[in-house]
Amino acid sequence: MVKYIVMIALSVSGLYCQDAYERHCVECHQELPTSLQEMFKRYLLVYSGEQNVKAGLKHYLKHPLKEISVMDDLFLENYGVKEKTTLSDSDIDEALDSYWNKFKVFNKLK
Amino acid sequence: MLKSEKKSLFRFLALYTMMVIFMIMLLSLFYYQSQEKLMLSDQRAMLTKYAYIHTKRLKVLHHYFDERTEYPRDPRFKSAIYDLEYMKIFSLLEEQNVRFDEEIYIINNHIHLVKTLDEFYLGAKYLVVEVKDSGAWRGDIWKNIIGYGFLALMFFMLFGLYFAKMFLKPMRDSIVLLDKFIKDTTHELNTPLSAILANIEMMDTEVMGEKNKTKLARINIAAKTVSVLYRDLTYLTLDHEKGNQDEAIALKELIYDRTEYFSVLAQSKHLECNLDLEEASITMDRRKFTRVIDNLISNAIKYNKRNGTVGITLREGMLVIWDTGIGMKEENIPFVFDRYIRFNESEGGFGVGLSIVKQILDEYHISIQVQSKEEEGTRMVLRW
Repeated sequence: MVKYIVMIALSVSGLYCQDAYERHCVECHQELPTSLQEMFKRYLLVYSGEQNVKAGLKHYLKHPLKEISVMDDLFLENYGVKEKTTLSDSDIDEALDSYWNKFKVFNKLK
Repeated sequence: MLKSEKKSLFRFLALYTMMVIFMIMLLSLFYYQSQEKLMLSDQRAMLTKYAYIHTKRLKVLHHYFDERTEYPRDPRFKSAIYDLEYMKIFSLLEEQNVRFDEEIYIINNHIHLVKTLDEFYLGAKYLVVEVKDSGAWRGDIWKNIIGYGFLALMFFMLFGLYFAKMFLKPMRDSIVLLDKFIKDTTHELNTPLSAILANIEMMDTEVMGEKNKTKLARINIAAKTVSVLYRDLTYLTLDHEKGNQDEAIALKELIYDRTEYFSVLAQSKHLECNLDLEEASITMDRRKFTRVIDNLISNAIKYNKRNGTVGITLREGMLVIWDTGIGMKEENIPFVFDRYIRFNESEGGFGVGLSIVKQILDEYHISIQVQSKEEEGTRMVLRW
């Protein structure tokens, strides 16, 4: 009995240790052939700066459209356009901050 | 060459030189800028080629990021990438100060080309390519500017000097003619005026009737008035060109002497002379101080009322000449020393007297203060 309680407690605390990005994005994207980093690079290629990338991403999450997607046609034909997000603005912002910090180019080049 | 002519020539040449220098500097600036643009346009082709090569390398790096993180380097140039928000993504530049408002520019001996990328590889919107500027082109430009600038300056100066002399010639001729005329005229006035004054002094008034005495006094007054005017004119045309012969002047004696000279004028208006003189001295040209005293006393008498008072107070370092005359309006006081300014046309003169006074006092750094009230009188206070 004690063993189960400890396991449940550990898994719940693990869940809450994850940030918004890991909680809301990673799981679904794991099923896609294009990694989140590849997608990030596509956003960089189109939007360049931090604020611009975040604003572009946020807009797409809230109003997903084939015409404004950074993904290529083949990908969209196979997997379609994502569904409109149900996350709150603060959750989106938190997730985008984590996403940016995880894959940004700054301080990574040598 | 006359003093005034020298002054005009000097002023003209100073102005002309300034204009020529300004023009040469302006032309040099244009020449420098055009040469700089020419050099930059030569560099632009090469830097654009470097930027093209580097963009291809960035594209590859973008594709393999973040398996590969080594920024591409080239021995021919340095580079840096900036995002849309001008944030530095990575830089190898020696001169970190980047201007995004110009495509190509020189900064601290480095040439920067700022290339806007069509696709933002690694998020970079701006690619900055940098090469060192040897500055050799600048040396050649300076040599040209200094060499040709100096030649142009010399040419324009000679040209200016020739033209100035040519333009000033008619003025010079007129001035010489006028000067000669005034000198001759004043010289011709001197002899008869001296003769009149000497003969008046010599006349035996004891044997004259009262009527004749009065007539003689009037002649004396008229002659002395003309004499003061004559001396002012002589001072203006001849004397002030001469050098000063400064000496220590015993003022008490000089003032007694001058009041004595003007006593006939004062008597004609029944003026009372109030002299309060202490021993005092000043070091200056006697002729010039006499002009100052004569003009101030003559004005105090001329603009006085009948039965008024003319006062002279002398202390060491201070001389006050005052009268109980018609005075001046307060707003006219600042203009009292201007040449040809006369506030009262009832008396004769050219309005040059006080202008001469001010000119002399300024030369010797003597201050003059004018205190005047209409219908009450005027006080002239000199301090040295």
